[in-house]
Amino acid sequence: MNHSITPSSLSGHSLWGDAWRQLRRDRIAVASFWIIVVYLAMALYGEGVFWYFHCKDMAPPYQQANLREEYLAPSVFRHPFAIASAADSGGVGAVIANRDNKLAKKSGLVIRLGIGLRTLAHHPLGTDNLGRDVFQRTVQGARIAFQVGIITACIAIPIGVILGCLAGYFGGKTDDFIVWLYSTFSSIPGLLFILAIAMVVGKGLLGVYLGIGLTTWVNLCRLIRGEVMKHKTRPYVQAAHALGLGDFRIMFRHILPNVFHIVIITFSLRFPAAISTEVFMSFLGIGVQGEPSWGIMISNARLRLWQGVWWEMTFVTAAIFFIVLAFNLLGDALRDALDPRLRTSER
Amino acid sequence: MFRYIIRRILQMIPTVFGVIVITFILFNIVGGSPAAMTLGKNISPKALEEFDEQRGFNKPLLIGRWSATRAYEDTTFTRNAGPWRQVEGVTYTASQRREPGHITLAPGKDYVLPLAFKLKPQATYQWVLKYRLLTGTASFKALHSCQPDNVKGAKPALAAVGSIERQTRLLTTNSAWQTIKIPFTTGVTPTTLKMTVHTEGGALEICALKLRKQNANWFDTQFAFYLSQIARFDFGKSNFTNQRVSQMLKDGIGPSLCLTVPIFLIELVVAVSIALLCAFFRNTFVDRLIVVIAVVLMSVNYLVWIIFGQYMLGYRWGWFPLWGFESWTFLLLPVLIGVVSGLGENVRFYRTIMLDEMYRDYVRTAFAKGVSRPGVLFKHVLKNGMIPILTNVVIAIPFLYTGSLLLESFFGIPGLGNMGINAVNYSDVDVIRAIVLIGSILYVIANLMTDLCYALFDPRVRLN
Repeated sequence: MNHSITPSSLSGHSLWGDAWRQLRRDRIAVASFWIIVVYLAMALYGEGVFWYFHCKDMAPPYQQANLREEYLAPSVFRHPFAIASAADSGGVGAVIANRDNKLAKKSGLVIRLGIGLRTLAHHPLGTDNLGRDVFQRTVQGARIAFQVGIITACIAIPIGVILGCLAGYFGGKTDDFIVWLYSTFSSIPGLLFILAIAMVVGKGLLGVYLGIGLTTWVNLCRLIRGEVMKHKTRPYVQAAHALGLGDFRIMFRHILPNVFHIVIITFSLRFPAAISTEVFMSFLGIGVQGEPSWGIMISNARLRLWQGVWWEMTFVTAAIFFIVLAFNLLGDALRDALDPRLRTSER
Repeated sequence: MFRYIIRRILQMIPTVFGVIVITFILFNIVGGSPAAMTLGKNISPKALEEFDEQRGFNKPLLIGRWSATRAYEDTTFTRNAGPWRQVEGVTYTASQRREPGHITLAPGKDYVLPLAFKLKPQATYQWVLKYRLLTGTASFKALHSCQPDNVKGAKPALAAVGSIERQTRLLTTNSAWQTIKIPFTTGVTPTTLKMTVHTEGGALEICALKLRKQNANWFDTQFAFYLSQIARFDFGKSNFTNQRVSQMLKDGIGPSLCLTVPIFLIELVVAVSIALLCAFFRNTFVDRLIVVIAVVLMSVNYLVWIIFGQYMLGYRWGWFPLWGFESWTFLLLPVLIGVVSGLGENVRFYRTIMLDEMYRDYVRTAFAKGVSRPGVLFKHVLKNGMIPILTNVVIAIPFLYTGSLLLESFFGIPGLGNMGINAVNYSDVDVIRAIVLIGSILYVIANLMTDLCYALFDPRVRLN
């Protein structure tokens, strides 16, 4: 073992560097990260599709009802040519299937394979009660979920950070007021408070954003306040005081970077909660209006489930499950890497 | 100890006040009058006015002398002439770039103001008019007859006369709009009031009209109304079921507690047991497996637990009754789902507490002096871990009261959660406000209880 301090071992030993290295070694964290990246890509694609059709003023494919293809099972559960027999009885996918079927009867393996692949790509996750593509709608759901997660964070984080810094740094009357404010907010039952805000603001995404954003800053504020109070007496802050720097400069340029890991951790743990809340609100019908979201899909699929239409429900459930799981795992890993004192699991 | 209790109770007051203020801001200031939202669009102004009157929504917010009234449907003319459309001699000018939308009253006529409904008797009203008069004179009269309209020969008495002076300057610019406030009093019952504007010489242009009713005093406001409601434990009336909210709360709390208390107790016992198991098998395969299962359970959406649980256990396999609230068997499935859905989070929470304790010095000492593993766990760790567990337990109590929103509505349990969902769906403001308010106050009380428990069980707290 070489205990001598070399420049290379000194460099990059910041909190962030250490955390980064620890995260890189954590296989679960890396996997979660990639899952989140995939979802993010889906959300961005969904955003692109939305704006493309929005600008062209056309009904996007995920909104187009096609009653001839209602309740189409996911493509792997369909026989490659089963679609044609259904078409004969006036059922699903009539045009493509008929043509494909004629081709298939007299063609070789390659063409058959090509037709098979095309059938696989045709509504890969099936369709819902109006013949709308479940896959496309799930992607749109990811888009809404990310919007909600990010925008609520953009509301909650500034409030929490600024109030927390002010309370922790100035103390006294400011602290009393902010502590009063957040203890008041935290004593209102969370979900009901969110629902009440959404009801007052009106149905739609704005209500969801404000409802979640205005209630989730409390925890962050409390953590930041505690941390800032600890840092206030540290030598580096005293040094900054001695240099004659202003309060706000010390607060936001010197102390804040040292407590910012709390923001990251809170964000990663709040994100799945925000997604779940949005699903819940959309399910109740006070969330997203007129666009596919996971909550709305669950609410639609719930009744069909009893008739044996399991796919919409299952795929939406899976979509929510994996993103929430990934964020939960990544959040834990981040917490372990960035703040050993807040850790929940032993390693 | 006694002084500590008193101090904590005093600290509670500002928080309760804060909760009252926040619910007030949320429902009265931000929400505004929910009359149109709850009653629907095509409803007469009179019904809206009565809704507001009953709930105090027409009063000023914090302090003020005048209440709004809906006797005029449109007080500004940004879009159309509103009720003035039918009045002869009135022309409407839409708003242009710098010019607000306004109506023009042709000269030489009497105009009766189109009121949506009769004004209240023996009340003082104030008529606020934003007008422009280029030339000529205009005067305002409020006449009320002491008998109903249809009785002939009733001589209208002059209630108030306000007059608008002739403008000397030729007014062309936007800034020339002027405001005048004309107070008048309505007569004894039954009152029909006739308010007229007479113009002479030049056209009178009006761009905004308001009618305000005078309150009993400066503090006859929404906030005072709200406080007095709370003081009387009167939470208003549900607009949907037409029952008193306090009665609905009383009816709903029983079924809610039937559901939430078993969930809570079973969950507590199961989660603490599993957490102890984790501590027992710390850093082994079993511990890891439990943690992984807990995270997976946590990540399944609550809705999904309910929907699949009801579908599989209730419908497909038919183990439990599906929907209703008739006997205890109807509670089995919702309780089971409630326990399972919350298990992941709770196991993680209690496991953290247990493992925190496991690394304390007293545990090492106990092991060193040869106490067996179960002995350490159940005698030492569990006892010391009780303090944070107790906190969690007491804090959860108010949430027992609010019930489980989704479980109740899915399984048809007529509790507070179900009531809350219905209230959200039908924009039943009074119900939501009452549930939020009571839930918050219970939370504050539970917080107090936690601190008292701490002080009781942990002498270190008292010393600070």
